[in-house]
This record gives sequence, structure tokens and C-alpha cells, in this order.
Amino acid sequence: MTGKEYITGSFGLIENDRPAWLPFVGCHGAFLTGETADVYLSNAESVVKGLDAAIEKYSPDGLPVTFDLQLEAEALGCRLLFSPSNPPAVISHPLEEGISLNDLKIPGTEDGRIGEMIKAAEILCTKYPDIAFFGLVTGPFTLALHLMGTEIFTAMYEDPEKARSVIAFCSEVAKKMSELYISAGCTVVAIVDPMTSQIDPGSFETFVSEPVSEIFSFIREKKGLSSFFVCGQAEHNLELMAACRPDNISVDENISLKTVKDIALSNGISFGGNLKLTTTLLLGSSEDSERDALDCILTGGNKGFVLAPGCDLPMNTPVENLVAVSKLIRDDYRQEFLSRTSVLADDEKVPDLSGRWSKNRVVIDVVTLDSDSCAPCQYMMELVNRLKPSFGDRIAVFEHKIKTREGLLMMKSLGVKNIPTICINGKIKFVSITPPIKILTEAVNEEI
Amino acid sequence: MEDFIGRISISIQKGKVDINSPYPPDMKGLPGAFELTGEALENGVSANDILTKAMIPAMGIVGDLFKDKKLFVPQVLMCAKAMNSAMTHLKPYFSSGEIQKRGTFVIGTVSGDLHDIGKNLVSMMIEGSGWTVVDLGVDVKTEKFLEAIGDNPGCILGMSALLTTTMESMEKSVRTLRETFPSQKIIVGGAPLNKEFANKIGADLFAPNPQIAVEFINSL
Repeated sequence: MTGKEYITGSFGLIENDRPAWLPFVGCHGAFLTGETADVYLSNAESVVKGLDAAIEKYSPDGLPVTFDLQLEAEALGCRLLFSPSNPPAVISHPLEEGISLNDLKIPGTEDGRIGEMIKAAEILCTKYPDIAFFGLVTGPFTLALHLMGTEIFTAMYEDPEKARSVIAFCSEVAKKMSELYISAGCTVVAIVDPMTSQIDPGSFETFVSEPVSEIFSFIREKKGLSSFFVCGQAEHNLELMAACRPDNISVDENISLKTVKDIALSNGISFGGNLKLTTTLLLGSSEDSERDALDCILTGGNKGFVLAPGCDLPMNTPVENLVAVSKLIRDDYRQEFLSRTSVLADDEKVPDLSGRWSKNRVVIDVVTLDSDSCAPCQYMMELVNRLKPSFGDRIAVFEHKIKTREGLLMMKSLGVKNIPTICINGKIKFVSITPPIKILTEAVNEEI
Repeated sequence: MEDFIGRISISIQKGKVDINSPYPPDMKGLPGAFELTGEALENGVSANDILTKAMIPAMGIVGDLFKDKKLFVPQVLMCAKAMNSAMTHLKPYFSSGEIQKRGTFVIGTVSGDLHDIGKNLVSMMIEGSGWTVVDLGVDVKTEKFLEAIGDNPGCILGMSALLTTTMESMEKSVRTLRETFPSQKIIVGGAPLNKEFANKIGADLFAPNPQIAVEFINSL
């Protein structure tokens, strides 16, 4: 199956052999190519290079062309402050500065950086037909906030018609952007509207539901797939988000994935999320990232689930953490290993191995998932057993299956972190690779 | 007096700014916090009672409702707007010293970060609980925080960061501030932060919502 098929399969609620994988590489693409975020997010060539690198390293099923919720705002006259390490920030709100809504025109490829991002989408969709590219479009409420400033919040009560007309205009902008991305070849259009997490269900229903539903109908008419992506504490609006009829809802770690799954599936749509951006992907280790991803995979399942970070990846997210997640999603053995090892408490008492070693024999411990069911473990055990005819009772071979508690405790005592692993006289010698018999024999001879 | 105190409190809790305000719909045409406060003072209710028995408790209730997700940003902004309209009547009493603030709270979004919605909400809630707020704005350099602490001895400092990258600026600022003002009370907040991060950088409190910050500074 191609990556695109994993994404479209998830969106179609088809049971797959694994979830789809969608790393949100926005300005992180600049990190991969050694550029600054401001340069990267301003031209098609940089974006294509960044995503070339992301595809090579992370083997994604889908990727956003860009993750920049200021693109439309800039084209509509908001001033931006660019940063070398972040997406730009909006620093002025035209409707707050005397410009009227009638003065604003629906932007196109000739405005701001939109043309460059659509060009990047065209190049990427042609170059990588097996990957699903996502066109990320600023949601109408968030764009209204960019245009009006925080006045949009109080206008909902003090001048609801004004709020409604600005949101309606922003909805038209979103339709135009959706059309551009679909024409460029994108498989999915994601309407990203994080600021809706800050409003109550009543306000959402009054001001957001209808315009956003119209956008999703429009995307459907244009034969695109759609996602409604809201980061932040949006749990109170999840049912309403699903009722807008996107093909997918996506959230960040503020919301439990189980909750999102239940709501999405009960509404007949797919769902995505919610790898922890800071505590694991940015600041944690590879294993932290794997364990977080495994929690998501076990909760999300293989039907209708897209594994993704909660939001735009921080620029300097360690590459190794994302590589670990991209491997884990395809590695059932590693998933089982992590599941098994998570049952041991940090302070659990482990066996004392001091009486295990003797001068008369070499002890070979092989830590496996289970050589009866795990192919790499089976090959490793077979190899080790081939030593027996030549070494006889000068060696003692033990298999420690981490499916058992005893096996797990031995693994911990030996300090083993991966399976399968060969330890010789308590020393970790071969990790996850089955060496040639000659090399293994030499390693045993060193201990005799 | 009871009647005015109760009505001012309700008008703030419901975000009823003044008589012309269409919000909330069920109070349309009725006097709001602005008119009621003016009338209360004319009828001999003391400015201190209005502040301590109506405004501060009302904003405390608003803060609790926000914390419990019963109110959201738009409603809280309306409540703050109502409180500010009432506060315009009390300004002369603060100037004369007849009523006093609880202390000074200095707040800013850290260097490199331009987000201000969260910071503004915290400012409003803390001001509503009777504190003077010195708002340094967004993209605040460490030197500016240092200067503000020097200018406001005994103040409490609040710092906001909304980006994972500016969490680093926050850490640098807190560490530098601690060198000059080791016992300075510092509260940090913002979407990507958590308690562990706050502890790691040496802040006194991670406030996941404004009301936690209000409760903390009022307990000092």
C-alpha cells in the first residue's frame, strides 16, 4: 500500500494493518535543511527541499505542504513579524485600523506568499504521487481574529452582525484556498481553526458551525478530502466539530485520544492526533517518543486513525525522535517489546546475577520477545544454538522471553533495551542484528 | 446598600457593561455595571465596599467559572469590560488613597513571543481581584522585566509564553532574574508549559488558568 492509500483508507474508515502516519512538518523542514524559518516559509524551493528531507527521514504517509496560519492573513493586509525559528506572527489587524471589510478582496496566488506555497504543492504532488499532501487552510474564526484582533470575541455579543459578516468573508477565503490546494493536487484540505477552542459551544454553533460546514461541502464538491483541526482545549466543541461533516477531526494532546475516537467514529468520520509536542517529541528521548506513539497507536487502532503530532512540530524537534516514531509504526516487534516492558515499575527488584558467572563456562543470554513467534528472535536463537556442537559444555545458552515476567526482569538486570539481544557473560554484544557465526564464535572465544 | 452591591456583582458576572449594551440579551435595556456603580456612590455606598464586596468577589466567581469551563474567553472579556466600566468611577478614590490595591503585579509575554490573549486574560482577572497591574506587553526582553521589578519593589511577576521556542526565552529570563532578585515570586503560564517545566526553570508557580494565578497571589 502507498502512503496515500493509508491516508485515504483511514479517512474512509477502512481497517488497515497499521494507522496512517502524518508528521506535521512545518518550519521543522527548515531545521532539516539548515535554513531559517523566515526564509523557508517564503519560497517554494525551500519548502520542497525541506519536505524532500522529511520524506527521506520519516517515511510519511502524508505531509502538510506548509503549516503557516498567517498565510491568508498576510495576503489580506495583516503585518507579520518573521522569526528565524518559528512561523511568523500577526502584529496588526486591518479591521482594527480603519480598513473596512468591503475594502478586502478574496486573495489569490498573486497575493503575499500564497503563490509560492501553491507552487510548492504542485511540485510535491507531482514528485511524490504516493504521498498524500495536505493543504492547511486557516479556519474562518482564526482568520477573523487575525483581521479584527480580540474584538471578534466581544463583537459576537455587542455587534453579532459584524462578527458574522467577517467570519462569512473568511469562509470564502478558506474556500478559495481549498480550491487552490485541490487544484495543485493535494489529497486533503485541513481547515485549521485553533481559536475556536476558546469559545463556548453556543458561540460555536451560532458563529462557526454553518460557515465551516459550507467549507467542507465545498471541498467535497471539489472531490477533496477534508479535516477539521483544532488544537487547544477544544473538548467542549468536539461534537459540534464532527457535526460540521468533515471527513476527519484532528486534535492535540489537550484532549484524550479515546474521547476523540469515540466522537469521530460515532459520527462516521476518521480522527487524528495526538503525539505530545513538547514533553516527548521536543524534550523527550527517542524511547519517550516511541512510548507516546505506542499509547496513541493502541488507543487509535488501525481503523480511521491518523497518527500525528498535536500541532506544527517545533522547528528543532530532534530528528531521532521522529525517526523512532516512523519506524515504530511499522515495527510490530518493537511495539510488543515496548508494551511488555512498560509493565515493570522503575523500582522493581531485579534478580542478582553475581553468582551466575563462572570460569568454567561462558553464559550466553538471549533476550527475545519469543523465538516461537518472532522471526528475528527465531533466527538469533538458531544461530546461538549452532554454537553448541563446537563448544559443548563450555557454554550455557538461555533464552529470556519478555512475554514472561521472569524474562522481563532478566532483561532489566542485563540492561538490555532492545530485542533480540545477545549478551555474553553479562555483556551486551549484539543488539537487534544476527551476526555471522564466525563473529559470534570469536566473541565467545574472547570470554573463554 | 445590599441591593447595589448585589446588582453590581451580578452585572459584572453577567458581563453587563452599561445600559446600552445588548449583552446579555435578558438584561437588555437595564442599567449595567457602569450606571449601578455611579448610583451606588451617589447613594452613599463606600468605594471600598463596592471594590471588596462587589467587584472582587464577582471577578472571583468569573475566574472560577472560567477554570471550570463554564465560561469561555468571550464571556470573560465581557465581564472584564463590565468591571472596567465600574472601575472608572473608583479611580478618584484610588488616587486619594481612600481605597488601596492589594499590591502590584507585573506581567509580560517573553522575548520573541507576540501572543497576548492569555496574558491579557490573566491581567484582567488579577486587576479584578484588586491588584495594580503593570502590563509590559509582548516580546519583553529580560532587561525590561528586571527594570520593572526594580521599579515596583515587592511586586509579583507573571510571564507568558505560547511557543515551544520561546519557552527557552522564558527559562533564560527566569534564571537571569533570579541572579539579581533571588526571592522574586514568579508565575509562569502558557499553552505549551507544564508544572515540570515551571519547576525546572525555577518559577514559583505554573498557572494553567488565570484563577490559579489569582488564588496564588492572594495567598501570599
